[in-house]
Amino acid sequence: MSATAISTGAAEKNRSDRERDVVVRVDALVKRFAVRRGWKAMLRHPRAKEYATALGGVSFEVARGEFFGLLGENGAGKTTLFKVLASLVTPDAGSVTVHGFDVVRDSERVRRLLAPVIADERSLNWRLSARENLRLFAALHDLRGAARDQRVSELLELTGIADTGDKMVGQFSSGMKQRLLIARALLSRPSVLLLDEPTRSLDPLGARRFREFLREEIVARQGCTVLIATHKAEEALELCNRVAILDKGVVRAAGTPEELSRRIVGERYRLWTLDPSHLALASLETRGVIHVIGRGERDEDGWTPLELEIPGGPRVASEVLAHMASAGVTVSSFERGRLPLAELIERIVESRGKEGARA
Amino acid sequence: MHKWLAMVRASWLVGTSYRMAMVTSLGSLVVTVIPVYFIARALQPMMAKAIESQGGEYFGFVLIGIITFMFLGLAVNSLPGVIRGSVSSGTLEAYLTTPTRLPTVLAGAVSYDFLWSFARALVLITTGAVLGAHIAWGKSLAAAGILGLIVLAYLPFGIFGAALMLWFRTTGPLPKAVIGLSGFLGGVYYPTHVIPSWLHSVSAALPLTYGLRALRRVLLEGAPLASVATDVGILSGFAVVLCALSTLTFALALRDAKRTGSLAQY
Repeated sequence: MSATAISTGAAEKNRSDRERDVVVRVDALVKRFAVRRGWKAMLRHPRAKEYATALGGVSFEVARGEFFGLLGENGAGKTTLFKVLASLVTPDAGSVTVHGFDVVRDSERVRRLLAPVIADERSLNWRLSARENLRLFAALHDLRGAARDQRVSELLELTGIADTGDKMVGQFSSGMKQRLLIARALLSRPSVLLLDEPTRSLDPLGARRFREFLREEIVARQGCTVLIATHKAEEALELCNRVAILDKGVVRAAGTPEELSRRIVGERYRLWTLDPSHLALASLETRGVIHVIGRGERDEDGWTPLELEIPGGPRVASEVLAHMASAGVTVSSFERGRLPLAELIERIVESRGKEGARA
Repeated sequence: MHKWLAMVRASWLVGTSYRMAMVTSLGSLVVTVIPVYFIARALQPMMAKAIESQGGEYFGFVLIGIITFMFLGLAVNSLPGVIRGSVSSGTLEAYLTTPTRLPTVLAGAVSYDFLWSFARALVLITTGAVLGAHIAWGKSLAAAGILGLIVLAYLPFGIFGAALMLWFRTTGPLPKAVIGLSGFLGGVYYPTHVIPSWLHSVSAALPLTYGLRALRRVLLEGAPLASVATDVGILSGFAVVLCALSTLTFALALRDAKRTGSLAQY
């Protein structure tokens, strides 16, 4: 295929992204970093270089208005991915577009559309007031005069720090600084917001309020598309429409938490029975139709709760229930539960690790 | 322009938030000039002949040297300092996420220091004039232009230093070498023709040698610009060549920093 054909194809794709509702498209993104070597290795092989793969062919799309979570442990590649999106790091291969604009070729345009919330409080000027911090960045975003002052006041109001807007930032609490960082990111009315571990320095109550603010104000009222990188599964579960699980620079799975749960481990059910050791249950488990993953304490009336995973969705689950009933297993309750996301991530990472080892 | 102004304003607000430092910074200048005045008076009989082509008065001669050297130090050190500070605090990353280009950001970040130094230079020279230094005030504009050219000839060393900072997180010995050589061999405290002949070629390779000679002749003797055209021409040549080379080097360093992801790592 000729270079012209490839570039025409990419241009077509970008145009169609602008027409459709795809806001962020990450396509086979690769980023490797040189590994720092010891003196001995450098002296032995001065020209040799070792690389660590931070992103090994990541692909996903985010639609307009979505709250998209990137989940993974520390070092999974989340921050590198965000830096590529914010055009702070150049990718080695693959492409990233925001509203159809390439983050490398059209970086200036991308910076007008996408704003990363840099969670580091030190990136604020602590000797300036919140208002002056915002005024400075408003100017850097090409806002000036009355429009700038109005936007700054709006954002101080929106983020709930208007009362302390003229106070030096050094006197702010962590939560207030986080709000100011958000306000700073919103100055240019970005359509995409990147949040990297936004609640890491907040206490549980502050984190909950901050999540409410994100959901109600940023997404619902401001209409932003939000990408959030976190290693807190509960945070992603509470906020995100969809999540991608990043492990060692590779997207292991993507979808809604429910979809992932179904796709990876089937669904989880809780069964209350008088016969937890019934042969029918043992037979279903031997055949791999169900997996008993937990057995609770027997209650005063003799009922024992069993935690089951039933791959194959609701149809298989109802067949399992019918089979138990016909085999004489006494059941008082059979209800669907949900696999905690943290456990889900662990399983996804483990299962892919095993596949990799087999390969 | 409004972005540059916004950055200067922010730096001004930060500067004025340290009120005590600001007052002592200006006050200490007056204290500095007085001993210089007495030492210069003591050395005047010895130096008079050597500096007769540059005003003939040692106090004015050394005062101009000190002021210029202050700007030289700033030109060499300010950019690497801004890069070091903003990389370690994360502000550089924050600036780079805006649509503002890095040169504008850097220019805005160092301008306040230059403006503040300009104010300090005015205090120094006015105090000097009060103490008896003969200043050709009518040539102030031409003198400011020459001083600007000296800064432009030395700013590239700052840009090289900033590039080294991006690559290696240190400027290495570059700033100290440039400042040290210029201080000793560029004619700050004594005219360059009194230094040993075997060092003349080093002195001739320093922009400061030409800049200071021209500046003193204009500001202390009231010489017209045309009479220092050769020195100004050589100084301009240094500025143009070094600016081009340093800008290219910095662009390469920035590209590498984006490739290696080291923009926000200290």
